[in-house]
Amino acid sequence: MTKQIAAFTVNGAEREAIIEPHMLLIDVLRDQFALTGTKYACGTGDCGACTVLLDGKPSLSCLILAVTAIGKSILTIEGLAEGPELHPLQQSFVDEGAIQCGFCTPGMILSAKSLLDENPDPSLDEIRHALAGNLCRCTGYVAIFNAVQAAAAAMKTDSTGTEARP
Amino acid sequence: MHRVLLPFEFAEPTTVRGALALIDGEKTRALAGGVDLVLRMRLRQVLPEKVVSLQKLPHLDYVRADDLGLAFGALASLRQLEASRAVREGWPLLAEAIGSIGSVQVKVQGTGVGNLCVGTPASDVAPALYALGARVRLTGLADEREIPIEEFFLDVGKTAVRPHELVTEIVVPRPPAGSGAAFMKLAKTSEDIAKVNVAVMVSVGDGAYADVSIALGSVAPTPLRAVEAESLLRMAPVGEAAGVGNPAGAAAANRVSPALEATGNPVSPGLEAAAQAAAQAAVPISDVRSTASYRKEMVRVLVKDALARATARALAGRSDVQAPGGVS
Repeated sequence: MTKQIAAFTVNGAEREAIIEPHMLLIDVLRDQFALTGTKYACGTGDCGACTVLLDGKPSLSCLILAVTAIGKSILTIEGLAEGPELHPLQQSFVDEGAIQCGFCTPGMILSAKSLLDENPDPSLDEIRHALAGNLCRCTGYVAIFNAVQAAAAAMKTDSTGTEARP
Repeated sequence: MHRVLLPFEFAEPTTVRGALALIDGEKTRALAGGVDLVLRMRLRQVLPEKVVSLQKLPHLDYVRADDLGLAFGALASLRQLEASRAVREGWPLLAEAIGSIGSVQVKVQGTGVGNLCVGTPASDVAPALYALGARVRLTGLADEREIPIEEFFLDVGKTAVRPHELVTEIVVPRPPAGSGAAFMKLAKTSEDIAKVNVAVMVSVGDGAYADVSIALGSVAPTPLRAVEAESLLRMAPVGEAAGVGNPAGAAAANRVSPALEATGNPVSPGLEAAAQAAAQAAVPISDVRSTASYRKEMVRVLVKDALARATARALAGRSDVQAPGGVS
């Protein structure tokens, strides 16, 4: 198998790209789909900046061959907001000052989303463990943990319908 | 570090037979989670002509436990193993070892079998499986074989896997009743590989050590069992050896990170002697992470602490570990 037209499911939409087996998922996302929210940093699986959700699970797009992501559901940071309305995690990162330079934020938020999808009411320790694979060099993490807790609370309010969000 | 991979042929077989036929030697690499392989391809340490993905092989991502033991397939992820209730309750040593790997992403992508097949003596999974007496099942085109994990690791980066062969399953016997275990590791950060790691399991009966296994990682070309140290403790009385009865010893069972400070309890002669024997068994190298002499000394410290903790756990009858963060 060499060059092929591959169909990916990215942020709920079908997207096609011409790929070769040696292409990395991060490059297809950034260069072919212009989804530059996914960041490239360490390239070694240490920093988590390239994290996307593959079938809901946090995955390192810089260490994944694009060809192996065919048929899986890919969620990048661009897929979180609904139109102009930010996802509760995005909003709480803004509100809590959990963003400074912002480079780790997409990966951080996607790891947090995967956590909240599995466990809507995580303890601080569970949040720490869930974000252990995402490095931030600006905020010192406290604001980030606060933001995840705030988002968890906001999403719970949402799901009980008191402050329904479409 | 290179941004781009060099081209290779790619295949995604859907049967084990199909995969075995394709995996024909040095120039071909099997891809499971890819955490190690893709990284080393980017570092250009590995330049395969052909990559055979195992991800489409059906029914290999299982984690199964029964009265006899635990079995997991070639595609069971580290995260699956860590989160498995059966593993946490029945083989807490394995869950503890995997829990020492920080990154969720690495555990989601990486497989238990892939971790072993890298052949690195710094594997966190391997010492736990050594201490638990695990066996490795290899499937070839003509036959299957099952070997003790000690025979699987041959040298740095070298395992017993032959061309046209795959590790399809790891089998782990159930630890005996009255046993306790502990995994401890020293590393630069939770993301870095171990400078030294140790896994120990002890069974206690009638106030003595009925059985002891001590496995060391990152201090020799392969993981290894500290056989001398084990025989020093076997049949030795527990109270004396573990310093049980003093509060610090009991507290050691539940410490979160006692790596360097759990030794607050008075040195117990039995454990100290075993720990020294374990240090003698280590033949570490000096590298960017540590000097050889420091690693040897840390084997002594970690083995002593791990034995104290495992003994306290055995006596407390506590055999589970907490669920990893985020798993409900």
